[in-house]
Amino acid sequence: MKNKLFVLLSLLMLASLALAACGGAATEAPAPEEPAAPAPVEPAAPAPTEVPPMPEFVAEKLEAPGGNCDYGGTIKSIEAVDRYTVKFTFCAPEPAFVAKVAVEAFDIYDADYLKETGGDAVAMNENPVGTGPYIVQEWVRGDHITFVPNPDYYGKAPANSTFILKWNKEGAARLLDLQAGNVSGIAEVTVDDIPTIEADPNLKLEPRKVNNFVYLGINNTKPPFDNEKVRQAFAMLINKQAIVDDFYAPGSVPATQFVPAGVKPGFTDGYVDTTYDMAKGVEMLKAEGFDFEKEYTLSYAERTRPYFPQPTKIAQAVQAQLAEAGIKIKLEMEEWATYLPATRAGEKELFFLGWSEDYPDATNWYDVFLTGSSAAFGNPFPDIVDLIKKGATSGDPVARQGYYDEVNKLYAQHVPAIVIAHGTVNLAFQAGVEGVVIGPYDENFALMKTADGTVVFSQDGEPVSLFCGDETDGNSFRACGLIFSSLYNFSTTSIPEPDLAEECVGNADASEWTCTLRQGVVFSNGATFDANDVVASFSAGLDYNYPLRKGNTGSYQYFKDFFGPKVMNQPAE
Amino acid sequence: MSLQEKEVPILSSETIRETASPFVIMSRRFFRHSSARLGLFLLGILVVCAVFAEQIAPYDPIVPLKNVKRRDTACIRIFGCPAEESQHLMGIDGNSRDLFSRIIFGARLSLQIGVSTISFAIVVGGLLGAIAGFVGGWVDDLIMRILDVLLAFPSLLLAIAIVAVLGPGLINALLAIAIVQIPVYARVVRASVVSVKELDFISASRALGASEIRILFSRIMPNALTPLIVQGTLGIATAILSAAALSFLGLGAEFPTPEWGLMLGEERNSVFNAPHLVFYPGIAIMITVLSFNLVGDGLRDALDPRLSNVN
Amino acid sequence: MIQFLIRRLFLILPVLVGILLVTFTITRLVPGDPCYVMLGERATESTCNDFKARFGLDKSIPEQFGRYVLNLLKGDFGNSLKDRRPITTVIAERLPMTFELTFFAMIFSSTFGILLGVISALNRNSIIDTLTMLGANMGVSMPVFWLGLLLAYVFALVLKDTPFQLPPSGRLSSGISMAPLTKVWGIQDATGVKAFGLSFLSNSAILNGLLTSNYKLFFDALKHLILPAVAVGTISLSVIARMTRSALLDVLGQDFIRTARAKGLRYSVVIRRHALRNALIPIVTIIGLQTGGLLSGAVLTETIFSLPGVGSKMVEAILGRDYPVVQGFSVVIALIFVFTNLIVDASYAYLDPRVRVK
Repeated sequence: MKNKLFVLLSLLMLASLALAACGGAATEAPAPEEPAAPAPVEPAAPAPTEVPPMPEFVAEKLEAPGGNCDYGGTIKSIEAVDRYTVKFTFCAPEPAFVAKVAVEAFDIYDADYLKETGGDAVAMNENPVGTGPYIVQEWVRGDHITFVPNPDYYGKAPANSTFILKWNKEGAARLLDLQAGNVSGIAEVTVDDIPTIEADPNLKLEPRKVNNFVYLGINNTKPPFDNEKVRQAFAMLINKQAIVDDFYAPGSVPATQFVPAGVKPGFTDGYVDTTYDMAKGVEMLKAEGFDFEKEYTLSYAERTRPYFPQPTKIAQAVQAQLAEAGIKIKLEMEEWATYLPATRAGEKELFFLGWSEDYPDATNWYDVFLTGSSAAFGNPFPDIVDLIKKGATSGDPVARQGYYDEVNKLYAQHVPAIVIAHGTVNLAFQAGVEGVVIGPYDENFALMKTADGTVVFSQDGEPVSLFCGDETDGNSFRACGLIFSSLYNFSTTSIPEPDLAEECVGNADASEWTCTLRQGVVFSNGATFDANDVVASFSAGLDYNYPLRKGNTGSYQYFKDFFGPKVMNQPAE
Repeated sequence: MSLQEKEVPILSSETIRETASPFVIMSRRFFRHSSARLGLFLLGILVVCAVFAEQIAPYDPIVPLKNVKRRDTACIRIFGCPAEESQHLMGIDGNSRDLFSRIIFGARLSLQIGVSTISFAIVVGGLLGAIAGFVGGWVDDLIMRILDVLLAFPSLLLAIAIVAVLGPGLINALLAIAIVQIPVYARVVRASVVSVKELDFISASRALGASEIRILFSRIMPNALTPLIVQGTLGIATAILSAAALSFLGLGAEFPTPEWGLMLGEERNSVFNAPHLVFYPGIAIMITVLSFNLVGDGLRDALDPRLSNVN
Repeated sequence: MIQFLIRRLFLILPVLVGILLVTFTITRLVPGDPCYVMLGERATESTCNDFKARFGLDKSIPEQFGRYVLNLLKGDFGNSLKDRRPITTVIAERLPMTFELTFFAMIFSSTFGILLGVISALNRNSIIDTLTMLGANMGVSMPVFWLGLLLAYVFALVLKDTPFQLPPSGRLSSGISMAPLTKVWGIQDATGVKAFGLSFLSNSAILNGLLTSNYKLFFDALKHLILPAVAVGTISLSVIARMTRSALLDVLGQDFIRTARAKGLRYSVVIRRHALRNALIPIVTIIGLQTGGLLSGAVLTETIFSLPGVGSKMVEAILGRDYPVVQGFSVVIALIFVFTNLIVDASYAYLDPRVRVK
């Protein structure tokens, strides 16, 4: 018996070992006990002193099929005029050009590097090659990415010797990491944690001001919400101020009109919003024969956003406010994966969605929502659509403001959605971290200084890939911003500043932009930056036939959003 | 020690009662365990809370309170809370609702969840097990192999996957938990059926002309009752835990239902700045599950001493 | 014995086919669209159609299943939809974490479970016994996610700045990292199984720390594992404690113990040499059978403690509609589960010949 027991125990141990080795069995034998040589940092660049002879420059060009915009996008051609000049030609005025190309999705990659990797994000993740302030030392999947300064960076060298990007989905856990001193800074502070941070002398709050909003969308094809009066009454029944007070970070404000105050032209000064008036709202509903017995469904996704910091609590608060007016609301929490397509397909009667702008222009607001690009709000309102089109193509700020003033008035009449709040999001840092400046879209990580030279920042998710041309999420963008640069960038303001371009100049009607590029910039693989790199990077995003268009999902969504809706040679559906 | 061995004085009134009523014997065995008594006591409290929730809870569990501080901590009179403040035994949650009232109403929901899922699992699983055991042959193999597949996944992961297919929501979550539990009851019933179906009294019934269906339900199934009751009581505990876990992950009950797992999940990020919001729902889940576990163990000992060593 | 094993292996086959069918069906029935998850607010219908065509999601379901099984037989689990990396790579990254967690949870639960069970049995019906068993009952009744949150609260916040402070989340402290073994050992040409094994070992912080003599890494990883392992292991601990108690009581009532005592052996010797050893058989079995529970617990615990393991990836993949990852991980988890049970059964059969004929 004893023996058997012993055998059994060893059997179990063997079994667990075999399990643990699961496939690794073949390799367990050779394990030379070498002293742990720390993995050497591999600077991909060759010796910096050696100046390679410049090969002859053969200018590349991307041209739309047929030389016109019949393919369904706005770009006609992108041409390398000479080694350091690129010309972008559009079919229509493109006043927001420099702001658009400052978005992280328009990073510039080395053309040869794109060729080596086939433009495949998976290959590029292994060894990202850029011109930014940092290079990647290691990416431990599921845990962190370590960045070290790029010795060839043309700008100001980073003030820290190591930058580590970590992630943790839970806000409370991020804060604990900060309190324990494990990280130098955290993103997206939970609203309820703000007092804790304010009370802690070792920590400081850094608010981010960015134009955003959350709205209660109403589908105007779903009765009774096809009745304009019903929508107007709903707008009276929601106490925006109470919601902002309870669930938003200080600095957030209730929304009054369809754009936040920072969007100019667009925002109407002195605008008076529908006031919260329970009695009047209920009376209006009764007059319209609203069915108070029926249950209406309010949908939302549990996805914390700066403009929607506590989705479930806010949804329950709105539910309770409407319940006070005698309206029965059923809350439907859905996963983002099913929620967004259903909402866009016009299946939801009442829903929460929001928006953070990509660049500071009214077209990134009105055009996105009110022109009927999705069926979320039901049918678009022709009078609003007409005014928005006029606003988008007008070059005169005063005239544009005039159109948008009208749109804002019509918003209160038609109520396609009830805008609720503009959120302020807070980051938090150790008090000892010097040089922290938080811009609307970016943080200046390279200028942050700590006592030991290492800056650790914890965000709410892992980057999907390090090829941001084909990404859309902020967590990937944050990592890409450290390794790559674009023609322009938003450093810590909402004004795009020249980066890889010394300057981009538009012609009279802003339909042609000529960019003079910065000279002497070297990629971290040693290649010299020139105009062909710009053409190659944009071609990957803009041309389906371009051989190096592979990316991650292959959608290059930002290229379609900003210069589309379609890109060149896109197959018909 | 078994009852038959007990030496009994002839004509003692006590003996007559003991041999006359199995229920009394069972109760005695049950109440002999102090843990079973504790379990029954806790369960009693829960049932009272569930039945009289409206009378016990001082506030509505769903409507937010006016003029209170969100996420305020407990205010209890006997611990010196000033009379001018309204009393909140467990504090106020993130949507300005009285936590105590929500916990009380949660008891009702949890008991409903536990009983309904397990009833479903017992009916479906029991039927499958009975058919498998009674018919035997390839039917048995087919049913049991299919159920083996269900058992090949860790139960919670399978439940999550099923909810992902059906869509989140309390009813779907309950269905998922019930489906995951089916194999357990199928096995229990099948084992009982197989163990008795060749016995003489079955052959006797058959000889007397009873139909197969009748034999199955009135002769064989009663034998499965004891293990089913024991397993079912313990299963309720598991079901409540699983439902709470699914709600915690956002796949179960809908807001603003006062479901404990949901309440916990909703406030999980508050654990460091308002720990009471996380603490009370968890304690409530624990006490409920504990009471069913204790009662289940007691029942097992009382009904079927042979099973007492099997976990 | 061999015959028994062969029979059991043969019985597993239909289960395996079932597992493949179930995972495939479940993941295909799931409503929602992976494209929208990947592309977020910016997804449009046309980009989503491209996306589906590119990943073969527009093909018929039977065709997709056929391809899936064929590839699986070739050892190809497919690629993740989210970042297009091979699932095998992702498994090699994620599985070590879960194994570490499960392993330490098991060590924790069996050590303390057996200890408590023995104490309880030896002090039968005393106050110690009652309290221990009540504690064990409470242990099985606790929601894992609640226990995890409470542990994090106590050890990270209440005990902050004491020697007992423990990290509430993550796998390693910042600044500590795992060197890939391919680099440390200078192995460049690893492919196939060898590459998988190397990657697996590299990604186990504990093994990596030991193999590269990087004790800082080893102890840091260990420190981060304590709270999650306790959270996951508590239920098993309670089950094992109860099992130990009843098994020991069972043995203690048998004749040979009485004989041993009658021989004049000291009580402690009888307990250690005779009673405990015999009682261990059912205990070892129950420990083996806890694997499933531990894996389920790992799903919730990894989520709470932000550990990059199989469970957290699984939940992420389900919510993100990453079909291939869900499929691949389900298959792997089910396989582990099935084979663990097989091993437990086999060892039980080895010990108790009666089982073999059944």
